[in-house]
Amino acid sequence: MRSHEPRAPVAPLLRKEMRELVTCNSLWVLMLLLSPLVGYSFIQAVALYAEASRPALSIPELARQFSPFDGILVPTLGGFYLTITLLFPFIAIRLIAAEKASGGLKLLVQLPYRLIDLIAAKFAAVIAAWLIALIPLILALVWWALLGGHLDARETATLMLGHLLYALLIGAISFLAAALAEGGATAAILALAVTLGSWVLDFAALDRGGVSNLLAALSLTSLLRPFEQGLLSFPAVLGMLIATSGFLALAVIWLPPGIPLGRKLKGSALIVAAAAILISGAAQARTVLDVTPDRRNSFPLADEKLLGQLQDRLLVTVHMASSDPRLVDLDRKVLARLKRAMPRVTIRIAEPGQTNPFGTAGDEAYGEIVLSYHGKSATTRSTGAGEILPILYELAGVGLPVPGAPGLDEPGYPLVADASNAAVWFYGVQPLALAVMWWLAAANRRIPWRRS
Amino acid sequence: MTATASSRTVDALMAVCGIGKVLGDQQVLADVSFEVASGEILGLIGPNGAGKTTLLECIAGLLAADTGEVRWRSSLLPRARRKESLFYVPEAISPYPDQKTAEVLAFFRQAHRQPPSRLEHLVSALGLEPTLSKPVGALSKGYRRRFLLALGLLAPRPVLLMDEPFDGFDLRQTREVMNLLRSEAVDGRTLVLSIHQLADAQRICDRLVLLSGGLVKGVGTLAELTASARLPIGSNLEEVFLALA
Repeated sequence: MRSHEPRAPVAPLLRKEMRELVTCNSLWVLMLLLSPLVGYSFIQAVALYAEASRPALSIPELARQFSPFDGILVPTLGGFYLTITLLFPFIAIRLIAAEKASGGLKLLVQLPYRLIDLIAAKFAAVIAAWLIALIPLILALVWWALLGGHLDARETATLMLGHLLYALLIGAISFLAAALAEGGATAAILALAVTLGSWVLDFAALDRGGVSNLLAALSLTSLLRPFEQGLLSFPAVLGMLIATSGFLALAVIWLPPGIPLGRKLKGSALIVAAAAILISGAAQARTVLDVTPDRRNSFPLADEKLLGQLQDRLLVTVHMASSDPRLVDLDRKVLARLKRAMPRVTIRIAEPGQTNPFGTAGDEAYGEIVLSYHGKSATTRSTGAGEILPILYELAGVGLPVPGAPGLDEPGYPLVADASNAAVWFYGVQPLALAVMWWLAAANRRIPWRRS
Repeated sequence: MTATASSRTVDALMAVCGIGKVLGDQQVLADVSFEVASGEILGLIGPNGAGKTTLLECIAGLLAADTGEVRWRSSLLPRARRKESLFYVPEAISPYPDQKTAEVLAFFRQAHRQPPSRLEHLVSALGLEPTLSKPVGALSKGYRRRFLLALGLLAPRPVLLMDEPFDGFDLRQTREVMNLLRSEAVDGRTLVLSIHQLADAQRICDRLVLLSGGLVKGVGTLAELTASARLPIGSNLEEVFLALA
């Protein structure tokens, strides 16, 4: 007779993982580093914003360009992003590697839990760690609000969503590394190789095009960019969720001991194939919402409406090097917007051989942007939407759209404020409070004075 | 393998059939087979390096065997379903060293949906009261061993596999734990114990599997093994083992 033991309740498992989390030194080290890093980013951002805001206070046209999202929120999250990239893997890895090293895993996998429950509970602890790590950031934003600063809820929520998805992806990669590696140190090397490798890909793409560009598009850093621009990109959200699920599924396969290698490889191949198919499907999802209050990532509504009606394929050939700042400008202000507004757009970057910041010697086509639509072509060297869109309308044989009612103009939020007092909090009070909490959390595992 | 009269039990609950395992270039286990009946205490005995731990992990499904299978009342018991019937308590592990002993015991009790009284009974029977507020990592070797036994005994599985359950105990503690394990067997639990102290094995086990160099050298009661080794009646297990190994 077998035991027919019912499946174990999840709550005790979650409690166990949370206890493991708060006794994890990595969490407290991360928090101690986050506090001054976020604080420094915030104080610097406020100082720069204040300096730039001074002339704008008396010039409304200038004031319109002031967005706390770009000036305060994104830079403050810079320190958060850095810490999550470099230190978050250690927290996630510890949740698995410590159990492997202590032998606890051999007991855990025999409990009446499904493997997926075990990984899910550990991942819940990763999410809890991220929420704890948000504390210094939230306090910085509260400080900003107390200074009289403005934050748009939709923009802020979108950016936080991007950072959450990024942290979840890092956590899932770390889980797989811990499941694959024998020890925590090897797992950390594997996980950091992926996260830091992403930076290398990004840097490589600055100077080279082609394959480097393609690889850079897959880097973890590039996944955050739309959110940092105030864009809620469904392909990015879906892609990150699918990749996270894929890494977690791989961890489920590789974590338990006793499964033959062949079966693990077979399962992994299936997961990788399924994830690849799903991610390519997600990439086809075109929905990208511009959540900025002034729609600064989009063409005016009248243009968007008209562009949406142009059903033929638009081919844009850009003769520029990937490292050319004009291409970055063109992409953000025209090409990316065209891709979102028109149903069928193909962008081709025709890279020259050797380039310098001013173009390519002897390459007369360098800098040209060729628009081909409906069997007709036109060339321009301008990278502004104001010049490119009329050319496109002419190729399509349609008139310029009638400008819509303004209504979406944001007043802008310049603010001359001083956050230098926050240094006391972020460099002193908060780290001290965290150190006390660390001490209290560690009290659980302190070895008593006398052993029995 | 030396076949003995009781290498096949009358009413086998679980059968280990032809388990083989190669680690690196070493054949750690070769064609290991035996059966165990319900309520029986079976001892896996052999010197260090005989393959006892590897065998227990293969049976529990924590290590993939190269050959062989585990059968449950004549039906194949696949690796993924072993935990429905078996619970393995490894030796020399220190799980959750940062958590309090009471917290870990409570977690295992709740995971197995056991009543609080069951844990109270085990804590009392194993003398774990002084350790409850201490982190697992701070426990002495003997207390850690008792703590692991408690985790194993909390699992309501018909068969418990225990690796060196008496390691780290003095004579009195060994006797206490043996009494506890005996009472578990009387209640119908089957115990497969890996033991390298032959005197301990002789005292507690109903039947024995002699393992040496990854091979089964004999299976049976002490009397059957003594007869198989052609030793005089009353020989102790040490003499029998040396004769058969």
